[in-house]
Amino acid sequence: MDPREPSTRALVLRGVRDALALPAWVVGLSLFAVGSLAGESGFPAGAAVLSTLLIWAGPAQVIFFGGIASGAALPGIALAVGLSSIRLLPMTISMLPMLRERAKGAPLQILVAHYVTVTVWVEALRRLPALPPEERLPYYLGFANACLGTCAVTTYLGYALVGALPLPLAAGLLFLTPTFFTLSLTAGARGASDWLAIGSGFALAPLSTALVGKDIDLLLTGLVGGTAAYFLGKLQRGAA
Amino acid sequence: MSADALQTGLWPYLLVIAFGFLPSEVWRVLAVFLSRGFDERAEVFAWVRAVATTLVAGVVAKILFAPAGALAAVPLLWRLGALALGIGAFFLARRSVMAGVVAGEAALIGAAWWMTGAPP
Repeated sequence: MDPREPSTRALVLRGVRDALALPAWVVGLSLFAVGSLAGESGFPAGAAVLSTLLIWAGPAQVIFFGGIASGAALPGIALAVGLSSIRLLPMTISMLPMLRERAKGAPLQILVAHYVTVTVWVEALRRLPALPPEERLPYYLGFANACLGTCAVTTYLGYALVGALPLPLAAGLLFLTPTFFTLSLTAGARGASDWLAIGSGFALAPLSTALVGKDIDLLLTGLVGGTAAYFLGKLQRGAA
Repeated sequence: MSADALQTGLWPYLLVIAFGFLPSEVWRVLAVFLSRGFDERAEVFAWVRAVATTLVAGVVAKILFAPAGALAAVPLLWRLGALALGIGAFFLARRSVMAGVVAGEAALIGAAWWMTGAPP
């Protein structure tokens, strides 16, 4: 190994540092909200923290605890959780090839895939291409584990502090997710296809909720808007 | 299901695993097997990336247009205005995500404070 190459330990720590600089706290705050929801649903604190470590997808956790609190049937809850997490499939598929240099076997790739959530995906797409392929895996694992660890703590805090925040701060907490993701997508956008995808997501989401209801509206938005953005971006690349 | 049942023994943990973890994790594991043999530059990933990006933008739009809980107390125009301010700050501060988040949050919390009269 070239002595000028950073060690695995240094790469892991760089990932941890980049996560703690902002992204881990943003996703941590959204899971703080999930923790408070779990606190109101009657689950023990350990189950709330376990849901963050295992489910690791804010919307799915909101559906799970919100569904149980509202008395919905368990199979229906599982189906809704599954539907809400379909988005993890294209995200994981598009991210894995960037890490395949060192994550070759199926068990390691399944571990890598487990950390995929919106925040980690958006950040990985923005940060990983800048790293040499052999440096990406330790950096990614440091980054993702720092996010997960921070969130396990904030889920517990949210559970413990439920209802204690005054309204303006609670509103600010809920506003953090849309603000951060909008800026993160903006910062990571490369080329016409990305901009069109962002724009069509914003434009189509309210439209498809009105058209097909709130169970499959996101799926429709993603497929229709994303496909249109892909083809228009391709046309633009061809013309340029 | 009663709240008592949720506080006893391993039940709540098993519920999290069976009805939360498994239906969600299946997509991640499936992705590992579906992505094999694909090159990172393969054209299909450009499409997958566009779909996933649109999904995230769609989730963001849903939270902004139809928020739950405390955020609903702030009117839509204020929510969009605070976001626009955040985007403006992001570009002014040489594409700093942190600066954009801080500006957008300050605007929204300020607006929420002003609307409700409650100190943050």
